[in-house]
Amino acid sequence: MSKRNLMLVVVLFALLVASNIAAAQVVTLRFTGWEASPLETASVQRGLERFMELNPNIKVDYTPVAGEYNPKILTMIAGGTAPDVFFIGSRSYRDFVARDVLLDLTPYFEAELELSDFIPSEQLKMLVDDKIYGVSSCTVVSQIYYNKDLFDQAGVPYPPADPAEAWTWDEFVEVAKKMTVVEDGKVVQYGVHGFDANLQNIVAMIFSNEGQMFSEDLTEATFDDPAVIEVLQSILDLRTVHGVASSARFLEQAGMSSAHMLATGRVAMVVDGTWALQELSQMDFEVGIGVLPIFKKPATTDIAHLHVASKATKHPEEAWKLLSFLSSEWYQTDLVSAGLWMPNRTAMYTEEGSKSWINPDVHPEGYEAILPFYTDAIQPYPFLFLPQKAEDLTNEILEYFWYDNWPIEKVVETLNKEINAVISK
Amino acid sequence: MKYFTRLKYSDSFWALLFLSPNLILFLMFTLVPVLASFGFSFTEWDLLRDPTWIGLGNFKEMFSDRIFRQVMGNTLYYSLVSVPLGVAFSLLLAILVNQKLRGVKFYRAIYFLPVISSTVAVAIVWQWIYNPEFGLLNYFLEFVGIKGPNWLGSTKWAMPAVIIASTWKGLGYNMLLFLAGLQGIPEMYYESAEIDGATRMRKFFHITLPLLSPTMFFVVVMSIIGSFQVFDLVFVMTEGGPGRATSVLVHYLYQSAFEYFQMGYASAIAWVLFFIVFGLTLIQLKWSKQWVQY
Repeated sequence: MSKRNLMLVVVLFALLVASNIAAAQVVTLRFTGWEASPLETASVQRGLERFMELNPNIKVDYTPVAGEYNPKILTMIAGGTAPDVFFIGSRSYRDFVARDVLLDLTPYFEAELELSDFIPSEQLKMLVDDKIYGVSSCTVVSQIYYNKDLFDQAGVPYPPADPAEAWTWDEFVEVAKKMTVVEDGKVVQYGVHGFDANLQNIVAMIFSNEGQMFSEDLTEATFDDPAVIEVLQSILDLRTVHGVASSARFLEQAGMSSAHMLATGRVAMVVDGTWALQELSQMDFEVGIGVLPIFKKPATTDIAHLHVASKATKHPEEAWKLLSFLSSEWYQTDLVSAGLWMPNRTAMYTEEGSKSWINPDVHPEGYEAILPFYTDAIQPYPFLFLPQKAEDLTNEILEYFWYDNWPIEKVVETLNKEINAVISK
Repeated sequence: MKYFTRLKYSDSFWALLFLSPNLILFLMFTLVPVLASFGFSFTEWDLLRDPTWIGLGNFKEMFSDRIFRQVMGNTLYYSLVSVPLGVAFSLLLAILVNQKLRGVKFYRAIYFLPVISSTVAVAIVWQWIYNPEFGLLNYFLEFVGIKGPNWLGSTKWAMPAVIIASTWKGLGYNMLLFLAGLQGIPEMYYESAEIDGATRMRKFFHITLPLLSPTMFFVVVMSIIGSFQVFDLVFVMTEGGPGRATSVLVHYLYQSAFEYFQMGYASAIAWVLFFIVFGLTLIQLKWSKQWVQY
């Protein structure tokens, strides 16, 4: 080879090696989540762009999963292609920790974050035997949404946002009756919808009545607690005795989300999660938010997901950087001010802190009044600490109560028996 | 070409070569997983950790599992109703489109359309039809003075509702099979019967049905097998509810595998399903000697 050709080869080779070294320093993280709504995915992408700006040596590939999430994640982990960082549902978190597939984040967490910064319900959620395997993403609780126009037309006062002024259950039923409109024997407007649509809503009301579904140590199901029975019966009575609620399945099968039900005036009040505010605030009507009615005290419950890292990740340091970013106030604020999330840091609920994210385009007037509801009234959702089958069984057997006229005694007896069988395995 | 024949590759070599892509895929994605699942049915496996051998533990658990009994019952109910319904109606359709009418090919296509339609789209449309307050079905029932139930929200009516939707979706497929069978019956039998003065009914029961029996056998066997494996339309329409009124065997299998961390149990259910369907097919094969005429 001539001298000139040799030089050419050496230079090309050097370039190749150099580019490899440079490329090797850029770490690519695979990040997977579910898509709750296109708005959420857009928010996530915005956040990731910012993260990549701040960390030029890390590239994040986000793939939202449409459809069933857990089967996808399980298969990815089983097949050795687990993403580096991913969402995990609050109910699945402990199942995954127990099977040793999540990265232990405790040393990273203790070095950088302060557990007491998080609201108490999130602290309890993240800690498993004094270790942390996932970082809370946000908070998400059940509350009341209502159509202000309908209340104005009926001349009925709005549901209160301040937990100190919460309606009792009976007061709530009275209002629901006033807001139920019947024409020619058909109900054209229901007072309320949603208590029986979601187990979180039911559990929130049970907590409000200080009912105990389980023993303290969660080893025994105690659905026969009279306070629990009272709540279940009251919720059924909304539809069967007072006629103020439609059956949950019926409206949802018509393809209507709770947002549509409120917007079209089919329902005056809806019980749904805080996430619904993002969609509701963008619709063509005036939406209001209020606290849940109380039996004995204000209560609600939270099921927000966590962000975790796979134990098999080849880039734990970079994965932690992403996890820490995803729980940062900056990232939260974007999603919180859009109404999709609620903050999980106590500092963001103070008067000062809340100014940074309360958004007049999203949060209704007087929103600040409801803040104590999020800081003081949240109780941990018991099914976070139990196998998934327990929650499915509860949903199933309660449906026989809502739709199959099972007497309440049979319902609670069956619940206790079958859930105890699952717990004891 | 002369070059290849000189290499003395036999015909069977070429046959195997061209079959190999299909064979390899079959081995990799069907045969090996099926055999593996048989092995897994004797283990406890949560997909994330290694499987542990538990012998017949999964099968024992099935007998005392309330949910298993319930989904098995639901599946039998589904099968017992949907198979006769489907066979009868698809035969009827086949007879209708076997006539030499103008535009009959158009009708054949229309009746086949549900078969290739998206399951989710079909499920949504039927949900609207079944809606108790503004659905078409209850609307029409009101004209004849019946107040229709809350179809998909009632533990009593959800399964019949799902059976109707699901059977409707599959009619076109069996219709085509019956159509092929009908067209294989020589005209001369009908002609000679007419000469002897046979009525339409006699022609149907004494010529059509007997000569259709091989097709009938095939359709019945395939329908029974398919009815035990039903899942997607049912799941999308009702998610197995209310309660577990429309939860079928494959639904519970899916939940066990992917939601309850019990892949071993799910495999066991799959094999129980296999043996049931296999047994039913064997019975039908034996029985076919009595009524199928070739």
